[in-house]
Amino acid sequence: MSKVVEISPTTRHEGHSKLVLKVNDEGIVERGDWLSITPVRGVEKLAVGKTMHQVPKIASRVCGICPIAHTLAATEAMEASIGCEVPEDAMLLRYILQCANRLHSHALHNILSLPDMYLPGTDTKINPFSPEEPVRSVALRIQRLREIGQTIGEIVGGEAVHPSNPRVGGMYKNISPLAKQKVYDLAKEGRKLAHEQSEFMIAVFRNFQKRDWAEVAGRQVPIPKDLGYHNQGYMAAAPIYGSSSLDEHPTWFPERWTEVRPWDWYMGEEEITLEDKDYPVGGTTPAGEKAWPQMQACTGVPLYDGQPVEVGPRARLVTFKNYDEKGAIGLQIARQMEYEATCYGMIEAVDALDCSGKVIADEIPQGDGTLGWAANEAPRGCDVHLAKVKDGKVRWFSMLVPTTWNFPTCSRALAGAPWELAEVIVRAYDPCVSCATHMLVVDEDKRIVAQKLLE
Amino acid sequence: MLYPEIVIVGCGNPLFADDGLGPAVIEELNRLQLPDNIKAVDGGLGAPHFIFTLIDQAVTKKIVIIDIVDFGAEPGSLTKLAVEDLPPGSYRDAHSWDLTEPLQRLKDSVEITIYGVQPKRVTAPDMEIGLSEEVQKAIPKVVQHVLTEIGVDYGATIVS
Repeated sequence: MSKVVEISPTTRHEGHSKLVLKVNDEGIVERGDWLSITPVRGVEKLAVGKTMHQVPKIASRVCGICPIAHTLAATEAMEASIGCEVPEDAMLLRYILQCANRLHSHALHNILSLPDMYLPGTDTKINPFSPEEPVRSVALRIQRLREIGQTIGEIVGGEAVHPSNPRVGGMYKNISPLAKQKVYDLAKEGRKLAHEQSEFMIAVFRNFQKRDWAEVAGRQVPIPKDLGYHNQGYMAAAPIYGSSSLDEHPTWFPERWTEVRPWDWYMGEEEITLEDKDYPVGGTTPAGEKAWPQMQACTGVPLYDGQPVEVGPRARLVTFKNYDEKGAIGLQIARQMEYEATCYGMIEAVDALDCSGKVIADEIPQGDGTLGWAANEAPRGCDVHLAKVKDGKVRWFSMLVPTTWNFPTCSRALAGAPWELAEVIVRAYDPCVSCATHMLVVDEDKRIVAQKLLE
Repeated sequence: MLYPEIVIVGCGNPLFADDGLGPAVIEELNRLQLPDNIKAVDGGLGAPHFIFTLIDQAVTKKIVIIDIVDFGAEPGSLTKLAVEDLPPGSYRDAHSWDLTEPLQRLKDSVEITIYGVQPKRVTAPDMEIGLSEEVQKAIPKVVQHVLTEIGVDYGATIVS
C-alpha cells in the first residue's frame, strides 16, 4: 500500500516549491512530483508594447539570483529578432560577465549543498558557518570566490546586482585598461582558489557516495547507489556562453520545443497519509491534508523532442565534454568541474579584449517582427528567451527559464530514493524557482513601529 | 574591495508597483555626487545574497537600507527601524535565507539603519511598473533622511 508524504516548502534553494511523494512501505519513492508554487507573474504580457531596450531590463528584475543571465538572454533575443550583429569586444565583455555570474553562483550553491554532506572520514555533517577548521577556511574561500565573481560582474556589468551595461546592439561602455588589468588579476587569483575549491567539493561529494547512510530526522537513512538517476536526456546550447538564431549553426531548436499543461503531467488530488514531525524544518505536512499537484503547479511543462530534459552543468558537460556520470552526486560533481573553466574563460576573454575597440553596433535595425531567440547557458542551465520585435517595439516575448525544464526531469529522478533524501536530489539541481516577491511585514498587528513614524 | 565604509542599499522590485521604491531612491541618490567612501547600490531582488553576505566587516561601518515596510500607516509615511525591529522570518530571501539572518551577523560590528516607507499598492504576483503618487512623493524626504544619516550636507538636506 503506498502512502503519500508532502514536503512543503522545500528549503535551501531559491524560490518556493514543494514535493509530493508517493512512497512504498519501505519509504522508497514510487512516484515523485516536484512542483513550483511560486505564482505566475506574467512578465511576457508586461513586455508587449515596451521598447526593445526596456524589456531586457524588465527581464532582469524577474529574478534576483541570475539577473545577468536574464539580461543577456533577453538582450540577445532582441538582437536576434532585429538581426543586429554585435561588435566582438562587446561580446567579450558579455562573456566575462557570464563567467563571473557562474563563478559566484556555483560558490553560493556550495554553501547550500554542504549541510547535507559529511566531513570525509567522520559522521559529522558540515556546517558551513562553523568557526572550526577545516570548514572555516573553506567558507572563507567560498566568500572570496563570490567576491571575485561579484567584483568582476560589477566592473563589467556596471552594477552590483542587475547589470546596467549590456544593451541591445552591444554594451554602453567598454572598460578602461586599468579595469581590464583588475579583472585579469582577480580572475587569476580566482583560478587558483576555484581549483582548490572544486577539489575539496568533489572529495566531499565522493565521500557521500561511498557512505551507506545519511542522518535525516534522527534516523539513519540508507543512501542508494543510484540516488537521483533518470533517463530523460539533456539539453545544452554551449559549454559556457550560448547560442542564438543569428548563429550560422544554432545549437538550440525552437521546433523541437513543445509544452504541456501541468494538468496533463502531475498527479491528481491525493490525501496525505504519512507525516514526520521530526523532518527538518518543522516536519512534513500533517496527515489528512490534501495535495493536488496538477492544480497547484504553477509552471508549464516544457518538452524537448517530446520529453522533459535536464539542463545545467551536467547537461553542458554531457553534450560537450563526454561526461557520463548519472545521479544527484554526478550533477554536483559536474558543477564543480565547471569552476575553473569560468576563471580561464575570463582570463582568455579579457586577454583578447581591446579596451579602445567599439562596443556598440553602428546600426541598430528596428525589427520587422521576425522571431528571434537566444539560449544563454545560465549557471542553472539553458535560459531561452524568444522575442518578436517590430519598429523597435516588442510584439511578443517569452522566457523558458532553466528550472522550468528541470522540474519534470527531477521529478522522475526522485523515484527509487528514500523520501527523506528527496531534497538532497532537488538541491543538486540548484533550483531557481524565480521568486520576485518581496516585502517586509514588520508586525502582524502592526503595533510596534507606529511609534517610530518619522514623517 | 567590493563595498566601502558606508553602503546604502535600496531593496525592491520595480515590477511590483510601490515595491520599486528602494531602487527609485538609489537612482535619485546617484544623481548627487556622493563622497568616495559611500556607495549607493540598487539591491533589486538580490540584496541578502549579493550584498549583505558579502560585506567586509573590517571595512564597512554603516549600512542604510531603504525598502517598503507595511506598518499600518498612511501610504508614503516614513519610519526608521533597527535590525531588532525585524521579527525573524519576516522576509525570506529568494534563496530561503532570512533577510534578518545576515543582518544579525553584521549588526554588532556594522551600524545598520532601515528606512521604511508604507506602500499603497504592491501588485505581486501581478506586474505593474510605476510607483503610486503617495510613495513617489516620499522619495525626496527619504533622500533627505538618508543624507542626514550619512552626514552629507549640501545645504539642501536640512530636515525640519
